[in-house]
Amino acid sequence: MTPTPAGDLNDLLQQPAYSLLDDEKNQVLLPIIRNQLDCAIANNHCLANFFSKLHLSPDEIQRLEDVPPMPVQMFKYFDLRTCPEDQIEKVLRSSGTTTGITSRVPLSKNTTINQIKALKGILKDYLGEKRRIFLVIDHEGINNPMLEFSARTAGVRGLSIYAKRVFYLMREEDGKLVLNLPVIEELLSRYQGEEVYVFGFTYIIWSTFYNQIREKNIRFSFKDVKVFHSGGWKKLKADQVSKEHFSDEIARIFGTGRETVLDFYGMAEQTGIIFVDCECGNKHVPNFAQVIIRDPYTLEPCGNNEVGMIEVMSVLSDSYYCQAILTEDMGYRVGIDDCPCGRKGVYFRFQSRIEKVEIRGCGDTFRE
Amino acid sequence: MITCHLLNGEFVDREFSDFTVIADVTNCNRRVLQEMPFDVIIGLLSKLGRKLIQNPDINSLQGVSYISIWLRRKNLERICKTNYGDCTYLDTFVPVDNHFAMAAQPRGIVCQWIAANIPTLAFFSLAQAILSKNGSIAKVPEENSAFIAALLKELSDIAISYNGTTYRGEDLVKAISLVSFEGRNAEVSRMFSLTADCKVVYGGSEAIRSILALPQKEHCETLVFGPKYSFGVFDREYIESERFEKALENSVKDIAIFNQMACSSPQVLFFEKSKYSLEEIGLMMKGRFEQLPQLLRHQDTDPAILANIINMRSRYLLSDHQNIITPPDLSWTILMDTNPRLEDPVHGKCIFIKEIESITDVFNLITRKIQAVTLCIRDEEKRRAFAREATYRGVDRVVIPGATHDYDQPWDGILPMNRLVRWVILKNEHEV
Repeated sequence: MTPTPAGDLNDLLQQPAYSLLDDEKNQVLLPIIRNQLDCAIANNHCLANFFSKLHLSPDEIQRLEDVPPMPVQMFKYFDLRTCPEDQIEKVLRSSGTTTGITSRVPLSKNTTINQIKALKGILKDYLGEKRRIFLVIDHEGINNPMLEFSARTAGVRGLSIYAKRVFYLMREEDGKLVLNLPVIEELLSRYQGEEVYVFGFTYIIWSTFYNQIREKNIRFSFKDVKVFHSGGWKKLKADQVSKEHFSDEIARIFGTGRETVLDFYGMAEQTGIIFVDCECGNKHVPNFAQVIIRDPYTLEPCGNNEVGMIEVMSVLSDSYYCQAILTEDMGYRVGIDDCPCGRKGVYFRFQSRIEKVEIRGCGDTFRE
Repeated sequence: MITCHLLNGEFVDREFSDFTVIADVTNCNRRVLQEMPFDVIIGLLSKLGRKLIQNPDINSLQGVSYISIWLRRKNLERICKTNYGDCTYLDTFVPVDNHFAMAAQPRGIVCQWIAANIPTLAFFSLAQAILSKNGSIAKVPEENSAFIAALLKELSDIAISYNGTTYRGEDLVKAISLVSFEGRNAEVSRMFSLTADCKVVYGGSEAIRSILALPQKEHCETLVFGPKYSFGVFDREYIESERFEKALENSVKDIAIFNQMACSSPQVLFFEKSKYSLEEIGLMMKGRFEQLPQLLRHQDTDPAILANIINMRSRYLLSDHQNIITPPDLSWTILMDTNPRLEDPVHGKCIFIKEIESITDVFNLITRKIQAVTLCIRDEEKRRAFAREATYRGVDRVVIPGATHDYDQPWDGILPMNRLVRWVILKNEHEV
């Protein structure tokens, strides 16, 4: 009996996250995506417009790279729901960093479950089987469900699924982040021998947490620690802080090695998938996702080491167009299936965000 | 820190902490222009035009062939006549009537802030300063400094003989200094502004506002070529005439030149309802885009502009009443709808085409930021009436397809060279 795409998806989520060779994965993902796109077209007239104007039917798609990518900005302007409206349980709203317009990501129960399973699978690969104590380098209010989703909240909420207990290492005082000393003292006195994992927004870790904890000369010594961090490097680069220096310094604070400080790349529109650095510094694509680096001019897939726009494909959602999302980030593929860390599939590196262009000239605007 | 790329005719990069030396040298060297017959200046520039087009190292650079055409003696004379009425004013006092005579004297040092979007802009700006016998200090974008330096080196090597005297292009070049400095450096910008007897500023809103806020000499004249927007209008009769296909071909060239980054680049084309659907017109344009020479079709485009094009394409694909025509790559994009409005420029040959009920629908869209309207109306009287109303509302230039980038005068509603000179008077003593 031919397995159904839904069955395939469940199988995928059961397997170790980085176990499939790239070719094998592509063969598994393609029918699932075709099936999901059929549903998308049937349930959303905007997406029906999209495919119809491209004169493309999902059945005709022969390769993952032929799935038309949706620019991530479209989540700000269109309802990209792919299932009947009554299946939407909540709409994730992600605050915009540049335009101020919010992205809307409709989530069904199935999608949420898939995302949780997927993220657990990814974290398991880095943290092992057991739940751990979770240290958040941010204040507790960041996880307020009433607040809009942001890169910071996404990381905290996503990563907390592996937590047996959560501690917030910062608190807000007059709108500023300061060390949450009572919590830190409790950790130092009662939890030093525990296995923990840590998450913080890269710039907050460096500009706030690191400075303050160094001033107070605090050092942790947990049994085992993994530090996850995410967010742009632009501000750190401006301060001439290299990734290596950052990792060394933060590792020193937590009494661990550089290799346990792990940068990851992710986005609210692909919740459930984070691309965590392996010990070789590469970001790996799990079985239920794919990454294509596209030349920004030809839109053709790039070869290894050619810098292009990062497209993230996923099969986790039956409720919104996650199948191919074109980001405004630049990166490059390092290789396929042969990273020395042993993880299979595509591995890549993030390079930079595409900065909003400054039109330096007279061809500007009609507005007075 | 100021990098000076050209000083006293020498193309050597030198660092300065202020403009004192640069201004002194430029000011001293401009005296030669004052003494040079105006006809000689025209002669040297037109000879440069001929030389540029013959030099294979230079004539392949984008914009050089147009510069060469622009430098034809006839064109220069026409431009100067438009600005001065009579070019003799540049050489001597010309009697106006029995009571007085008038002359045009250079303002002195013209400091020019050159925008980066048009590589040829620096040259046109400097040429006008030469044609008004001024000295120039031009702040050029780093990426364009080699281009302008190449053109001025050619000018340096030119000489002509006039009434038995030899005149050299080198003397024109010696009155020009090219500089680069960080525009965000408030102190250097302030010093540059205070050096100017006349400021010529090209750029977007932010740049213009910050430069206008700088202190300046009380007598300093300021010419601003700020942010502008251009579009095209076609009436039904024109669309259904035999001229239409050629007009589309030329409009596509207008879009492609400067990769649609200029203030004169059309961003939207409005088509009055006709026997052709918008889709059919779009397909005609597609054919013209496909025939563009490779250099125009594939131009370096900033990734942020490319991302914006990708976004606009997707917005039109997802929407109900919009459509697109595109190649597989991002070399050009046609976005089609019937919403009668102007659109924010996307650049990178991304043209909005719109079907409208009547060409008069566009009147309400015109602001004083509209520079050029490519106007295709078959009936001449109707065309003039439209132009009269459009220019009243704010349009500076009403042009024909293929000519939107022609560097005509007036430009942006200004006769620049007329303002680069001081009009001076010599009164006659009445005879007793």
